Amino acid sequence: MPVKRLTTSELLNKIKTPCINKFGLLTGIRERKVCSSGEDSFSLAVDAAKDCLSFSRYRADELDMIINCSITKYKDGLSHLYEPAFSTLIKKAIGAGKAITFDISNACAGMLTGVYLAEKYIRQGIIKNCMIVSGEYISNICDHAMKNIKTSLSSELSSLTLGDCGAAVIIERINDENNGLIVSGFTTFSRYSNLCTGRQNRNSPGGRMKTNAKQIHDAAIYESVSIVKNALKKSNLSFKEIAWLIPHQTSRSSIISGANHYLGYFGEKPGQIAITLKETGNTASTTHFLALYRYLNERRFSENDNIMLLCFASGLIIGAVIFKMNKMVYRYGNIN
Amino acid sequence: MVAVTRPRLRFSRGNSIKLSARAAHQCLINSGVKPWDLGLLINTGIYRHRNIGEPAIAALIQEIISAKRANKVNSHNYNNTFSFDLNNGGCGIMTGIEIIHGSLNNSEISYGMVVAGDSEPFPGLSKNFNINSAAAALILSKSNDSRGFCLFRTYSFPEYSGEFISRTVYSIKRRNNRGKNILNIRQQESYPDFCVDCAAKSLSDFLNESGKTLNEIDLIIPSQSPPGFTKRLKTRLDMYDNFIEISQTGNKVFYTAGLAFAIKKVWDDDRFRNSKNIIFLTIGSGINVSLALYRN
Repeated sequence: MPVKRLTTSELLNKIKTPCINKFGLLTGIRERKVCSSGEDSFSLAVDAAKDCLSFSRYRADELDMIINCSITKYKDGLSHLYEPAFSTLIKKAIGAGKAITFDISNACAGMLTGVYLAEKYIRQGIIKNCMIVSGEYISNICDHAMKNIKTSLSSELSSLTLGDCGAAVIIERINDENNGLIVSGFTTFSRYSNLCTGRQNRNSPGGRMKTNAKQIHDAAIYESVSIVKNALKKSNLSFKEIAWLIPHQTSRSSIISGANHYLGYFGEKPGQIAITLKETGNTASTTHFLALYRYLNERRFSENDNIMLLCFASGLIIGAVIFKMNKMVYRYGNIN
Repeated sequence: MVAVTRPRLRFSRGNSIKLSARAAHQCLINSGVKPWDLGLLINTGIYRHRNIGEPAIAALIQEIISAKRANKVNSHNYNNTFSFDLNNGGCGIMTGIEIIHGSLNNSEISYGMVVAGDSEPFPGLSKNFNINSAAAALILSKSNDSRGFCLFRTYSFPEYSGEFISRTVYSIKRRNNRGKNILNIRQQESYPDFCVDCAAKSLSDFLNESGKTLNEIDLIIPSQSPPGFTKRLKTRLDMYDNFIEISQTGNKVFYTAGLAFAIKKVWDDDRFRNSKNIIFLTIGSGINVSLALYRN
């Protein structure tokens, strides 16, 4: 994670029309980390990959597969790299000589899509382990938004929630069917695909994003009920047996509103709901693994906790991954 | 089933999303598969219209072809269409096929589609962009007999990762002090030769793993880029009639859709059906080589 901080009040002060006083209160974001000179999507991804290896029992040359899932592919500043694939360069940077590599792009569902694919490769016996990695230098979208936001109804308001982060996770084959990944399932509700769009700028460095926040939130909550219900059914769990629900981190108010909707539908709620926005903001495809990393370091999880990762991403992609926390909790010591 | 498309107007620069959706739609019509029966939709194009980062281009294609199984059949059915983009240079289409092959084998889906399409992201804002606007789509289903894909392998040569680099570079014109993001493709002169070396070595390793000899292979369907690759490789392998090469249009090449254009050629003239052992060979920046063996 970059060291440089950008507080919400600093950000709002840069907007010429001060129209969104309650932004920090509604989103629950006090600050986010942003890239400095010399940092970009690639450097974040490589640093995350190295950090991930330091917690694992694998050496880089033992990795069978690397899947990169970044939305932003900035290397050497704000230069978007089309080819070679980021994963190929990450492989070279960390020395994972034998790893098969490819990139996927699935908006904020990227890393969980990577987990979904890695699980398939592992179950088929093609590989034994896979690193899923992402580096997001996405805060540059704020620069475009700050120039264009005129009212609190601006379609670029959601851009102000974004922060930079890199994340990596290794998943591996285990012999115990009762532990590890229990279920993963995803659906693309493409009729909502126009509600959140992001692309590269033509005339300035970086990108831009437009979101119809209210509509996409309503659609995500409405459509996700069936996904959550089926994921629970497949895993033979009730909602209250989920110790931790880690949803995509967009804003505090939307996470709470979603949790209330589930409570009304299921008549029960998960043990705890993770909200990690305060110091990091919405870090796009890395949010779930940033929350996992942070809570592991804070020793919040226990062995055998059922954890549900719930993703909402533009497309509209909704997916749920349920897994049982294993002895990994003991590998993480303290927050420093 | 395979379908391919090019822009309707000869000199049109095309739009990768519309072209891909058109190919996907045509493929559905040709195969008789309903859009909502697709379990997976994977887009493997690299050069996308306006360089859209999100949503995934696959979701936009899904919407255009109305692959809205979630909405049309049963919104509470978990087995709906899932779509995402996969970027692996010229090998993306083969990686997509491998993923769908795995899901079909596990009976998680009945049909899967791989789409590949490229066009200049911002027309006029690129250097050395020698890629045809083109798209292709393939639908895969599970066969009831032993026919079909039976072996996939990927070989990588990261020592050549600097041979082909494409990226946007922000440059400011002195005249009006205005900047533009320019797509710059930089290919070393030695790149095609390295591609041929890597492909030949990978093919040899692949044949060893599959227990076949080159004489037992009836068709080789390769990537159609970089320029000159197919010509040099078929000379190296001393295979002519059974090595599929599609005619180049000027100095432009078919990129991610190139393999599908070559499949289409042998599909239409029945050589695909009449060949017992077929090897698919894709090559992309990195350098990565993906191979698959298909048995009829």
